[in-house]
Amino acid sequence: MTEKELIVLLKKKDREAFKVIVEQYEDTVYNTSLGMLQNEEDAEDIAQEVFMQVFESIHSFKEESKFSTWLYRITITKSLDYLRKKKRKKRFSWIQGLYGENDEEMAEAPDFMHPGIKLENKEEAAVLFKAIEKLPEKQKAAFILNKLESLSYAEIAEIMGTSIVAVDSLFQRSKKNLRKDLAAYYKMNAQ
Amino acid sequence: MSTPSNDKIENALNSISGMERATAKPFFFTRLEARMTSKMSLWEKVSSFLSRPAIAIAGICCVVMINALVILSDSITIESAPKTEIAGIMDEYSQLGTNNLFEFENVKP
Repeated sequence: MTEKELIVLLKKKDREAFKVIVEQYEDTVYNTSLGMLQNEEDAEDIAQEVFMQVFESIHSFKEESKFSTWLYRITITKSLDYLRKKKRKKRFSWIQGLYGENDEEMAEAPDFMHPGIKLENKEEAAVLFKAIEKLPEKQKAAFILNKLESLSYAEIAEIMGTSIVAVDSLFQRSKKNLRKDLAAYYKMNAQ
Repeated sequence: MSTPSNDKIENALNSISGMERATAKPFFFTRLEARMTSKMSLWEKVSSFLSRPAIAIAGICCVVMINALVILSDSITIESAPKTEIAGIMDEYSQLGTNNLFEFENVKP
């Protein structure tokens, strides 16, 4: 069955078509959200939410772009929303801590280790992911889509609703920021 | 210029090149289906029904119409209200002249 036929069936809320689509794209969505969120449980949670939204709002997919582009767009949006919510929660608990209302401190997440990293690169990759975490939203999305999903600038531009030049600029800025952050890290750890 | 620090930075930047894709845990669809089923509780069904554009617009129209009817019926009763209001004030005024319980109970015709 072609993807187009599956989408037609999905628009009629066909469960079997939905299952085929989920099985076809679950790794794509999970890998992207894992790169963005750097936490396996959160990535699974967001991946489920992405597919729930696909099922609920498939009628709004106009087929002007590829289905995968639409799926990536939902994944990036949901991941960024989750990160914003997490940041707000962290800030709120910090303010509560100032007034002594919140005794429990938010635990610092341990270093993230992507399951696909080669054993010999694990140490460097952990440092890099720590730096990726600090990137601004759009730079992070462009970097993750390019490096983790091997998408071209044209595909990223379509997902992010921007031009190829803008994506190139985002990518260059993200690399510059990562270099700066990594330099600071290695300088601090050399002492 | 290649310095030890620059090498480390380049190594770190290249450390994720050629990495394998992370895969979702087995039975992802089963867990997803279970979540979707549990999510569709009665209230969610009701709210999703109410949030349909046609239902929402019809609901808003009903509220506006009820409000309009109430306002119109109020203006009609206000027009007829003065007579009864004045009569009430007159009764009250005539009773104000009474100084004690005897007079109050034996109002002269």
